[in-house]
Amino acid sequence: MTATTDARKLAYIAGQAADARVNVELETEGMTLNIGPQHPATHGTLRIIVRLDGERVIAAEPVMGYMHRGYEKLTEVRTYPQITTLVNRIDWLGSFANEVPFILAAERLMEVEAPPRAQWIRTALFELSRIANVVLFLGDMGVQLGAITPVFFAFRDREFVLNQIEAVTGGRFHPNFDRIGGLKDDLPKGWIDETRGVLDRIRTFCDEMEDLVAGNEIFQARTRGIGVIPADVGLSYGLSGANIRASGVDWDLRRDSEMGLVHRELDWKVWTHPDGDSFARYWVRLQEVREACTIVGQCLDGIPSGPVMAKVPRIIKVPAGEAYVETENPLGIMGYYIVSKGELVPYRVKIRSASFNNVSITPWLLKGVYVPDVISILASLYFILGDIDR
Amino acid sequence: MDPVDDVEAPAVDAARDDLVATLAEALGDGLVASEVQPGVDVWVRVAADSWLAAGVALRDRCGMSYFNFLSAIDWQPSPFGRDMDAQVDGPEANDPGPMEWGTTGGETRFQLLARVHNPATGLGVTVKADLPGDRPEVDSWIPAYAGADWHEREAWEMFGIDFRGHPNQVHLYLPGAFEGNPLRKDYPLLARRIKPWPGIVDVELMPGDGDDESGDDGEGDDA
Amino acid sequence: MGLVENGKLPKPLTALLNVSRKYSLWVYQWGLACCAIEMGAAFGSPRYDVMRLGVIPFPASPRQADLVVVSGTVTDKMAPAVKRLYEQMPDPKYVISMGSCANCGGPYWDSYSVTKGVDQIIPVDVYVPGCPPRPEALLEGIVLLQERIRSEDMGERRNGDPIVVS
Repeated sequence: MTATTDARKLAYIAGQAADARVNVELETEGMTLNIGPQHPATHGTLRIIVRLDGERVIAAEPVMGYMHRGYEKLTEVRTYPQITTLVNRIDWLGSFANEVPFILAAERLMEVEAPPRAQWIRTALFELSRIANVVLFLGDMGVQLGAITPVFFAFRDREFVLNQIEAVTGGRFHPNFDRIGGLKDDLPKGWIDETRGVLDRIRTFCDEMEDLVAGNEIFQARTRGIGVIPADVGLSYGLSGANIRASGVDWDLRRDSEMGLVHRELDWKVWTHPDGDSFARYWVRLQEVREACTIVGQCLDGIPSGPVMAKVPRIIKVPAGEAYVETENPLGIMGYYIVSKGELVPYRVKIRSASFNNVSITPWLLKGVYVPDVISILASLYFILGDIDR
Repeated sequence: MDPVDDVEAPAVDAARDDLVATLAEALGDGLVASEVQPGVDVWVRVAADSWLAAGVALRDRCGMSYFNFLSAIDWQPSPFGRDMDAQVDGPEANDPGPMEWGTTGGETRFQLLARVHNPATGLGVTVKADLPGDRPEVDSWIPAYAGADWHEREAWEMFGIDFRGHPNQVHLYLPGAFEGNPLRKDYPLLARRIKPWPGIVDVELMPGDGDDESGDDGEGDDA
Repeated sequence: MGLVENGKLPKPLTALLNVSRKYSLWVYQWGLACCAIEMGAAFGSPRYDVMRLGVIPFPASPRQADLVVVSGTVTDKMAPAVKRLYEQMPDPKYVISMGSCANCGGPYWDSYSVTKGVDQIIPVDVYVPGCPPRPEALLEGIVLLQERIRSEDMGERRNGDPIVVS
């Protein structure tokens, strides 16, 4: 930056400060602004009511329920295989990842274990759905801040990932591929090599996003230091996934717990960022897509041979008991608490979805920020409405 | 956790046993029951009066700084059947039968269900507390975990459980005029009354299958 | 255009207007659930590229839109907003109901909080089935709607049956 622009910048700042003083002298009145329930900036049907004092938010209250479909009640009248169909649609960008914790919880109660090949393929699909999910975030975050192009890139490259998921499962969006005791089917011929090509494409996409979005001055100015979440606050609100890792908490269930997937046998890294601001959350997710590519690549190399389905009864009756299994899903921790009474249907399923907790911090987080930052903070928290409301 | 690992896991789980011991010391009689599945999970059941104290003790003495979720279970089976089969489950109320509780047992109709974690060790614990069926009321967990706010609103809306000291106990998901508590077992799904569920055929036995529990091709779910 | 609605336009002029309307459909994206992403893929992604059909997916408000795609689960809480949206649109207006949820409730057919079909609230011109429909299916629905618009007589609008993409 040259001296001239420096001087110009200083003059600009001084002018802004003078304006601000005028604002203080003027008596400002509180104003209520309603964003949503359908608004381009909330990517979904989230409605936020903010009280403003000038440009500053004094209180923000999200209003949810526009996508509440009553999952927990519906699971009480559906059999276990039918619930798999249903839970696909909680986080609709990474559908396969929704099935995994539910199936794992049912498997724990039934004391069956998927064969190794199924576990490896599950892991590969789990991470592919993470890519399909977070890639859209990487582009969409640009849109929220006024850059239209990245989302087209995201949609373009996401299609290739969806193709690979569709090739295995038959569904672009909602695979319904996981079964208690394994997987519905084996991989199609030639899939592994094709997927390697797609991973290269996604790596290129990540590089592009790093240049185009994360490296952009405007993007950095609008995200650095904005929406800072300290680690202890994040923990007490139950934030998870990249949101909590961006606050410096080194906790990833894929590495730190027995999930029933094979992440612990692979060589990859959990990324954290000390800042806890919007930029950190973007950056951590960017790295996580890269790591997901690494994980899928290693899965492709290491998939053992063998069956993909264990012996399970034809009619699934889960023995009485309670089990809670959670996995590190694209949006954060997703868990299912299953209460079974030994019947065809579960007695109660508590669905712990990541976005619900992640968004519950917004009243705290949005207090005192400026209106334009509301959008960038919400975008960086990254939620799926179905995952909030269920 | 896989069943194979269950076998390998030690029969004694020191970390989880310690946790229960710490809670017992902190709560005294407030800790009603506990169950440890070595290497898998741990449940504790506390008295409703000790609910908030349990939260504070978990946070301060056990390092459980991570709030995971809070919900409830209605242990009174529905008087209308399970709404699975319109032929069996009539619109008229039947005797729902006795209550059967799950892990760590229970005494009353409602059971609070919360889970917290220690992010440093990765240990998680499920906390339960019994609440009466006629007027369930309990202290709010917000002083212990700020994130309990929305979860308590959800539990209030879905089960009708009152949280003492909750600052904003209003509808979370449903429109303000909505009546009833959907997750209570006696709340019927009326759409099923009008139309029997076509999917019920999926879980009927195939002809000639008898009570074959072993499975032929391992495929459990396509007819 | 009062004349168009009255159906008192001379035939050649009607044909001209219909062709113009057909190729300049401003579509409002009312994305609600999973289908919203497939709609986004159809409208916003380079692979499906809806603009080649003469459909412009960027109106800033429903007041500028000719067509609305209701994609996803309509809940009882959302229903008043859907109705209001429809009332804000200027005539002649068209509605595409995308996905099983918007068509009939879909997998949530027995839920206590889901509206069993958006056609309970607003009239629907095209039903696109699927859960979610592929972007191609949505494009097919749009093409079929354009076919109808091309031969449409304003006087008889609303008397025809809705289109079901199959």
